[in-house]
Amino acid sequence: MADFNKLADAIFKGDVAEVVATTKVLLNDGATPLEIVNDGLLAGMNIVGPKFKAGEMFVPEVMMSARALGEGMRIVKPMLSASDAVSVGTVVIGTVAGDLHDIGKNLVVMILKSGGFNVIDLGIDVPPEKFVEAVKEHNPQVVGMSALLTTTMAAMKQTLDAMTEAGVREQVKVIIGGAPVTQKYADEIGANGYASDAILAKELCAELIG
Amino acid sequence: MSTQSIESNSEGNQTVQFKVLSDGQCEKILNAALEILERTGVNVHSEEAISLLKAANCDVDGIRVRVPSCLIQKAINTAPSRVVLCDRNGNRKLFLEGNNSYFGPGPTCPNFIDPKTGERRGAIKQDAVDTAIVSNALPNIDFVMSLCMISDHTPELADVHEFHAMLKNTTKPLVGWTFDVTGLQDIVDMCSAVAGSLEELQRNPFVAMYSEPTTPLSHSKDAIDKLLFLSEKNLPVVYTPGMILGGTAPVTIAGALAVGVADNLIGLLLSQLKREGAPFIGAAPGGPLDMKTMQHSYGAPEWMLQHAASTDVYHYLNIPIWSAAGATDSKVVDQQSALESALQIAISAFGGAHLIHDVGFTDLGMTGSLAQLVMCDEIIGMVRRFINGVDIDEAHLAVDVIDQQGPGGQFMCAEHTFKHFKNELWSPTLLDRQSYGDWKNQGEKTMGARVTEKVQKILDEHKPEPLAEDVAKKLDEIVERAQQRVR
Repeated sequence: MADFNKLADAIFKGDVAEVVATTKVLLNDGATPLEIVNDGLLAGMNIVGPKFKAGEMFVPEVMMSARALGEGMRIVKPMLSASDAVSVGTVVIGTVAGDLHDIGKNLVVMILKSGGFNVIDLGIDVPPEKFVEAVKEHNPQVVGMSALLTTTMAAMKQTLDAMTEAGVREQVKVIIGGAPVTQKYADEIGANGYASDAILAKELCAELIG
Repeated sequence: MSTQSIESNSEGNQTVQFKVLSDGQCEKILNAALEILERTGVNVHSEEAISLLKAANCDVDGIRVRVPSCLIQKAINTAPSRVVLCDRNGNRKLFLEGNNSYFGPGPTCPNFIDPKTGERRGAIKQDAVDTAIVSNALPNIDFVMSLCMISDHTPELADVHEFHAMLKNTTKPLVGWTFDVTGLQDIVDMCSAVAGSLEELQRNPFVAMYSEPTTPLSHSKDAIDKLLFLSEKNLPVVYTPGMILGGTAPVTIAGALAVGVADNLIGLLLSQLKREGAPFIGAAPGGPLDMKTMQHSYGAPEWMLQHAASTDVYHYLNIPIWSAAGATDSKVVDQQSALESALQIAISAFGGAHLIHDVGFTDLGMTGSLAQLVMCDEIIGMVRRFINGVDIDEAHLAVDVIDQQGPGGQFMCAEHTFKHFKNELWSPTLLDRQSYGDWKNQGEKTMGARVTEKVQKILDEHKPEPLAEDVAKKLDEIVERAQQRVR
């Protein structure tokens, strides 16, 4: 068990080189890829979330942990068998039409991936119909929309309307985020949730999927 | 890193540069002070001091002493240019040299804001205990003074009781005040008990003691005797006038500097006559008399200018520097106290004064406040980041990471950010930077409310390293001895 703790600790510290080295050692010692994911990589990320929420970690440190986890995943993911269901759910995400900002959205993507979610990132300036198509194609449990500008927030409502029209609104939970977005706005446009940072977004997704 | 460089003649401001007086102006202040000492002279109310000054060839007429400039110049040269203060365990901590600035509370506030009720009342011994505990916990408070003049114990032993309270509740270096030499002896005995012996205390002193002439140009027996006692023991003494511009000093800052430096240099001369090389900390601090209320203002810009100019003069003299900041005229911790304290703290640190006291003063220095102390700790942190300046080298210019990210890139997830953000970005503990929604959800707390909570949290949770039981017992015995004496 000591080595899984070492791996989790390397994730917590955001030490990419240590994560890669320890993952390889564990594989050599006969640990299964699934054990490495659950008891090492994700276990490390599970230390990060609460520490960030308690104000004991800074965002760049969380990002470095998420990056380290990504590097570890890259090694073990090809070795996972089909029955090793590590995905806790699928999330389609994008920055809404007319908005080219993606730093915040990318942070959410990284943190969701680090939490074991399967994330379909549609990128920036995503028109409503593209969100609709993605829901049909990937059958996600959650759709996430991001906007940085007060002027592009309206596209969130338009996207929701397009999903209703296409008859796919009821099969997903929709969450929104971004600097000008508030819980109040989410309630107004009928979104299922709002989160003010990436860690909270991950928790919100987990909660909505249940 | 390469040990070979391709660059010579590099120049840069590694830190903030700040002065209010040029060297030429400092020389003028010094010459005016020397002229005052030769022409007007000072009154000295101590027989021992009079005989020391007489033996050194001063012009002595009763208690009036006129001092030849050459004596002062010699004293400036023999006084140490640096003093090191240790923590209670003898670790060398505060290097009063160069432009190092250290902050701590002030002394002798007769009133105190009760940390539980917020009520203003007479200061008690528990306030000195609480001040030591809170100071011990705060990262930007470097030394401790009592922040009070207690009235719940034998009044003539307030100094001894306060020091007893501080010694037991903080490991940080201490600065104390006393009424007279008897109390000073008690305090030195307590410190020697903690250090193990007087010799050990002298080797690694964790205490400096404050003494003050009666400005203008008058030196009381108690003030001088304390100075001579400490100089003889080779322990650091702070000897500075507390001037009121337009009251006990000229209303002009230059005039106040001249007379303040003159008074301070008499102290310096006596310390060096008593023991050449004795550690001495100086300054010519003061503030204006408010011409409407007849109160001595701490928050005035002239107060800040006087302290900044004094700091420049003592840098010029190369003598360790006393100063003040974090003291407000406001009766409560509020917008006024934040404004006045922030400016004082910034200016004193910009100038590089060494021992900066009075943090935690409210009510024109009449009331000690732990909330003011805690708020100022945050301000000092902010100012310390500022004086650190801008690092300019390859790693900080970050051209490589700019190239990696390219147009439209982001730096949030860059390893460069991860590596540098903690040194580059100061992180507040009290200032609110939340979104409106988060602020609202957490109770819409004002700065004042957050400060009060932090004071309470420290008092509830912080446990300073205790003294060994036998040492604590010795301190109690010394206090008891003093009690027997005054009974």
